Amino acid sequence: MTGQEAVALGEGVRTSLATLKDLSGIAGSFVCTTSGRLIAREIPALFEDAVLAEAGSRLLRIGETFAASGDALEFAVVRYGENRLYLKAIAGGMLCIVVAGEVNMPALRMAANLVGRRIAPAVGRAQAELPPPTFEAPPQRPAPLPLPPAVAPSAPGAAAPTARRFRGRTVD
Amino acid sequence: MQARGKNEGRGEVTGSAAAGASVRGFSAQLRGASLWDLVQMECLARSHRSVQVVGEGGVGYLYFDRGQIVHATTAQRSGEAAALEILDWTNGSFQSCERPWPTQATIRTSHEGLILQAAQLRDERSAGSNLVAFPARGVAGDELDRYEELELTELDETEVETEAAAEAEAAEGAIEMRSPVSDESARTPKPGANGTNGANSANGANAGRAELGPVGDFAVMMRLGPNGAVVSNRGGNEELAETVAYSHRLLQLTGELLGFEKFSAVECGFVDGRCIVFSDGDEVVTLRPRPEVNMQALRDRLGL
Repeated sequence: MTGQEAVALGEGVRTSLATLKDLSGIAGSFVCTTSGRLIAREIPALFEDAVLAEAGSRLLRIGETFAASGDALEFAVVRYGENRLYLKAIAGGMLCIVVAGEVNMPALRMAANLVGRRIAPAVGRAQAELPPPTFEAPPQRPAPLPLPPAVAPSAPGAAAPTARRFRGRTVD
Repeated sequence: MQARGKNEGRGEVTGSAAAGASVRGFSAQLRGASLWDLVQMECLARSHRSVQVVGEGGVGYLYFDRGQIVHATTAQRSGEAAALEILDWTNGSFQSCERPWPTQATIRTSHEGLILQAAQLRDERSAGSNLVAFPARGVAGDELDRYEELELTELDETEVETEAAAEAEAAEGAIEMRSPVSDESARTPKPGANGTNGANSANGANAGRAELGPVGDFAVMMRLGPNGAVVSNRGGNEELAETVAYSHRLLQLTGELLGFEKFSAVECGFVDGRCIVFSDGDEVVTLRPRPEVNMQALRDRLGL
């Protein structure tokens, strides 16, 4: 998949996500592939891409956790005070919908099902063809300063600091 | 509770050997009746007879005369204490028998009073266990009134499970108590927490507690402590505890990352079931409702 194709694919998914805002109470939504790549978002810029990718990665891991014990996750509703996350598992990734305040839950379930069905081919293709996300390497730290050599009390017959000793004898 | 007996005709038979002397009347075999119901039937009939009750606590005898329980004995007790002991039993059989009649009545309390006392004792015993507020099923009234303090505790499987529920759990392989806490709890029957067969609760003085709601509705009820240890468990296993503990942590971190408030609850829908996990103070409660359960009240309660 070329870069242009990837952009077009993400834009198509984003268009579908925008339809979720027909429901009142929806703050936004985003989609991550199983490999953790954020492929589309329709959510205020308050949430940075890196934050959404990391959140999506964790939410996908929840699905994997339940799958490991034999439960295939289809959807989840997570409550955080006044906010809720509606998660919809789709082939190759996960649709995450952020809810702020009251929402018509049956309508949201239906909307999520429809959007999930619509974007599933694109998400599956992205998962299959796009490389996994590259995480930024942590900033280079300055090399640690060499520790000062330990000062050992000099003893008669002690070897020079650079000499190696084995069983009390100096060896080359 | 199974019941066997004969309708000997009201007031026709008196005397100590009356119960066994008559051959007239119907014999009956009831399944699923509660002991309290049978006692009330016996008192309503104003019969004069002794009845053998075989329950989880052993064998006991109740002596009925003119609509009251006038005497009772068990292996350890006699009189009112024995009657209360017997009335606490939830499973067993109930059949008329021939017993020497006591020389004098040892119980003066009415049968209603005895049943109320038994219900109160049962409630008091169960009050010390972990309580979680979540909605009862089928309780009419205002929305807020639908939520009662329901007991989330380990239950004796043989006592609380219907055959269908037991089969369902066996199919799921869910009943596997591995932790020491669970094992110990599983061995300890808690009569205060009636199961799906809890006609006692429904008909007795503690009907308002709706204890049979969660037991019947949830295949799994598990409570994890702050460190992930299983505090109480019914129907869950170690694998579920690990899954929930890790998922709960991931959800906490996700919420913090997105700047949300503290995690409070999650409902997970699976291909073949559902699971609800919610925070209760420092502890985490997991429920696995049976497929036929209407979840709306619980969702409303948890804001899901």
